[in-house]
Amino acid sequence: MTQTTMPPVDKTSPVSAPHGKISDRARSERRLGWLLAGPAFVVMLAVTAYPILQAVYESLFSYRLTDPDNRSFTGLTNYWVILTDSLWWQSIWVTVLITVVTVAVELVLGFALAMVMAKALSSIRPVVRAAILIPYAVITVVSAFAWQFAFDINTGFVNSWFAWLPGVSADTDWFGDWGTSLLVICLAEIWKTTPFISLLLLAGLAQVPEVLQEAAQVDGATWWQRLWRVTIPNMKAAIMVALLFRSLDAFRVFDSIFIMTAGANGTESVSFLAYRQTIARLEIGLGSAVSVLLFIVVVMIAMAFIKGFKVDLSSARGE
Amino acid sequence: MSTRKKVLWWIGGAVIVLYALFPIAWIISISLKAPADIANGQFAPTKVSWQNYRDILTGSASDLFLPALRNSFGICLIATAISCLLAMFAAYAIARLDFRGKRLILSTALGVAIFPVISIVTPLFNVWRQIGLYDTWPGLILPYLSLTLPISIWTMSAFFREIPWEMEQAAQVDGATTWQAFRKVIVPLATPGVFTTAIIAFFIAWNDFVYGIVLTSTEAARPVPAALGLFSGASQFEDPTGAIAAAAVIVTIPVVVLVLLFQRRIVAGLTNGAVKG
Amino acid sequence: MPKAVGQVRPGTGSASSRRSRRRSPRQRGVASAAALLVAAGTLAACGSDSGGASTLTWYINPDSGGQAEIASRCTEAADGAYTIQTAQLPRESSQQREQLIRRLAAEDNSIDLISLDPPYIPEFAEANFLAPVPDDVAERVTEGVVQSAIDGSTWNDELVAVPFWANTQLLWYKQSVAEAAGLDMEQPVTWEQLVEAAEAQDTQIAAQGIRAEALTVWLNALVESAGGSIIEETADDPEDIELGLESDAAVRAAEVMRSVSTVGGPAFSTAGEDANVTDFEEGDAAFMLNWPFVWGRALSAVEAGTLEASVPEDYGWTQYPRVNEDEESRPPYGGINLVVGAYSQNVDAAYEAAECIVSEENQAYYFVTNGNPASKASVYDDPEVLEVFPQAPVIRESLENAAPRPQTVYYSEVSGALQREYHPASSLDPGSTGEQASELISAVLRGEQLL
Repeated sequence: MTQTTMPPVDKTSPVSAPHGKISDRARSERRLGWLLAGPAFVVMLAVTAYPILQAVYESLFSYRLTDPDNRSFTGLTNYWVILTDSLWWQSIWVTVLITVVTVAVELVLGFALAMVMAKALSSIRPVVRAAILIPYAVITVVSAFAWQFAFDINTGFVNSWFAWLPGVSADTDWFGDWGTSLLVICLAEIWKTTPFISLLLLAGLAQVPEVLQEAAQVDGATWWQRLWRVTIPNMKAAIMVALLFRSLDAFRVFDSIFIMTAGANGTESVSFLAYRQTIARLEIGLGSAVSVLLFIVVVMIAMAFIKGFKVDLSSARGE
Repeated sequence: MSTRKKVLWWIGGAVIVLYALFPIAWIISISLKAPADIANGQFAPTKVSWQNYRDILTGSASDLFLPALRNSFGICLIATAISCLLAMFAAYAIARLDFRGKRLILSTALGVAIFPVISIVTPLFNVWRQIGLYDTWPGLILPYLSLTLPISIWTMSAFFREIPWEMEQAAQVDGATTWQAFRKVIVPLATPGVFTTAIIAFFIAWNDFVYGIVLTSTEAARPVPAALGLFSGASQFEDPTGAIAAAAVIVTIPVVVLVLLFQRRIVAGLTNGAVKG
Repeated sequence: MPKAVGQVRPGTGSASSRRSRRRSPRQRGVASAAALLVAAGTLAACGSDSGGASTLTWYINPDSGGQAEIASRCTEAADGAYTIQTAQLPRESSQQREQLIRRLAAEDNSIDLISLDPPYIPEFAEANFLAPVPDDVAERVTEGVVQSAIDGSTWNDELVAVPFWANTQLLWYKQSVAEAAGLDMEQPVTWEQLVEAAEAQDTQIAAQGIRAEALTVWLNALVESAGGSIIEETADDPEDIELGLESDAAVRAAEVMRSVSTVGGPAFSTAGEDANVTDFEEGDAAFMLNWPFVWGRALSAVEAGTLEASVPEDYGWTQYPRVNEDEESRPPYGGINLVVGAYSQNVDAAYEAAECIVSEENQAYYFVTNGNPASKASVYDDPEVLEVFPQAPVIRESLENAAPRPQTVYYSEVSGALQREYHPASSLDPGSTGEQASELISAVLRGEQLL
């Protein structure tokens, strides 16, 4: 799945003429701006906006790839079929669960990692930094295979290593039921994406004014009090942006599920559901409708963050 | 700092390194297990065997793996290059010029970055098969731009904002031509940003799985992550665990090398220079 | 290698490009450049295929290299008439289907030959993705072929595929354990007896409880063995398809599945063929339902020194177990048949190649080296085959009784729905699972439910 970055933080204002009436200079600057940025803009729209519009159109038809002659317009029937189907709601529930669990754990773990990196001795910092980048850079599919093999009853070592834990024995079949399958999927996701979130939080940490910390220390605040009263409030924006991007990313979870369970035992995510309708079943109409619904949900989550949590994206837009 | 504190830091660092490397160590370990050793239930192989590497590099699975490796490298490098080029122009405009539509471009990049890939892959497949892009390099390079362009534009415009553009004018005052000023002053200042962006964009393209499995079907364009699902054991009913592990190790090597060489830059890129290592 | 390129002239190019293809991979670039030149040359020369060399692309399912070897043997035998190149498909048959359909829907003319899993043949045939089999070819390739393989290649009473190899599952057992359990393996055994024996001997029955195509294979064999059918009456209109999942036979099948799951081992719900054979080799399971590849695997493991020679010595094999004591079992039918893509530009050459591929000699070779049983009955009398596979007579008999999976254009939907309702086997309710599955399949085929 895609990864995202910390939005640029505006450091210096662009070298430009002040706002005012459109002068020749402003007009030519605008033309040049579009000339330079236009190609990137067009490409971005061409590979996303056009396909999603096509998906909206296809979703109104009953259309099976192997049977193009019987393609027929069915209006919103596909949406009705999906929204009244327990499978859709189950996959939504699974996806939300994975998102909430992984993002919550990643936030705590990522914060701890960021604190260590921020304070670490300069001698070990490069080592820690390099190590932490490795999960970020490893292919999701590779990470999914590694975790799958580790927990697999035949190839894995987890059962023999953790046999002392209650509920774990040589015969524990992690991928044999819903809860344990999801647990392994979440572990793999957390391992892979915590470093990213910790880097975003590290950037946020650096923005906390040192003076405030010192002032609080002088006032006799404990480490815990300083964390909650000074550090976290001052990096709220960074935390929210990290949360937003990771939540949207986690909501699109696909690779790990595809590799580890292929959706067995009710572990299907919304992305996987969409994949199976269109690619495995070749029901282009129905699958497109799932895709459109997924898109709408993602947009709704983004809106909820931006409006509800007042995530300040103005800096993200370079204003 | 007291010795005790130092020791604590070292332990903390070791824990983090262990956390990050353990799954990698595990996949390396499993890749060194002979077929009969795979199910030994232990972390380490009973006896180190290079059989899996032989299989994928020269043996039965090499027809599958080597073309996939070539495709992955080719497609990801080209996609990275194109997106860096496009992003460079866009980022320059965003960082240096003031024009209406700047916000639109950045918001679009934001929107594209949060786009669920699965939503667009089916329509893309339909269009691709009609215009003949299905299972070709360009057929993957184009969609990869949807993954790499937004992040490239953002990362690069953040870098470009920090470039002291006045120096260009200063150089011109000193008698350099526009081109010389650009080449001698701006290019060296901008290169690290472009380079860092390229690494991050490459990681993202390298990581793709969905486009790879849907938009390809032969060794003509199939990238490694998609090919991993195609390995077979000695017969069609046997699991190719060892071969997958060996291939996984090989595709992890390039990213690990990049990380080790450019870790400071990558961190700076991801956090936009907010933290100076 | 400028010489090779220099040699290429329209007309002579075929021979030299074929030769260069056998050279090291480093020279492959030159070979393909040469091939391009040839193509350009012939196009310029006459603008049509004058019956010269055609390169056929054969999409193969993964195996241990047998199909690639057969491809090069046939290329050689064709003496310049055609060259066969292989391209590999994914491992899971459902994914093979997805990939092929995507390509064929794109009217891909590079697909000449396909190794296709039989249950998907109707869907491909109905979508007009297959080039019709010429009558004379049909006659030749069905001669002396076991019935199940012919059935598996037929749709709407017409042969649409060339039978290649035919697979079937046997009941594998440890002779020592069967003896200790007092089972007479000379006589047909029932599932009930097996479960009792496994319980008494504190061992497992290895079967495919995983949510995958293998589960449908198992369910179908059980329903058929009990005298029923998953699809009783197929129809063009999906809404008219009559399902037999609520029949007594289907109820019996679900009962068997559930009782086997109690002795199927801890990971029964994720166990596929590979996990099964691991359990069987390691001794966790003393009974196993599996394809003949397990024999070849055990022998090569002994050779590699990773398995005690005494393990395969203890192997016994017999016909698939019965559901009802007095009713012959209907073992699973699998394997691969060859089809020719409808958009292929070399249909004639492709059928010529298909006939070569399925020759008795090649089938025997494939059986011996890759453990994939032949569809031609005569191969089972080949002394070389008998030497490596002492099971050959049992396999042949099993194939005569084997029941194909339901033949329908909507096979993947039917199978997917069955996998959803009949998994995990331990939670089956024989009284209601069939009804739920029927409802789900009908709703899915009517487009009223997701799958």
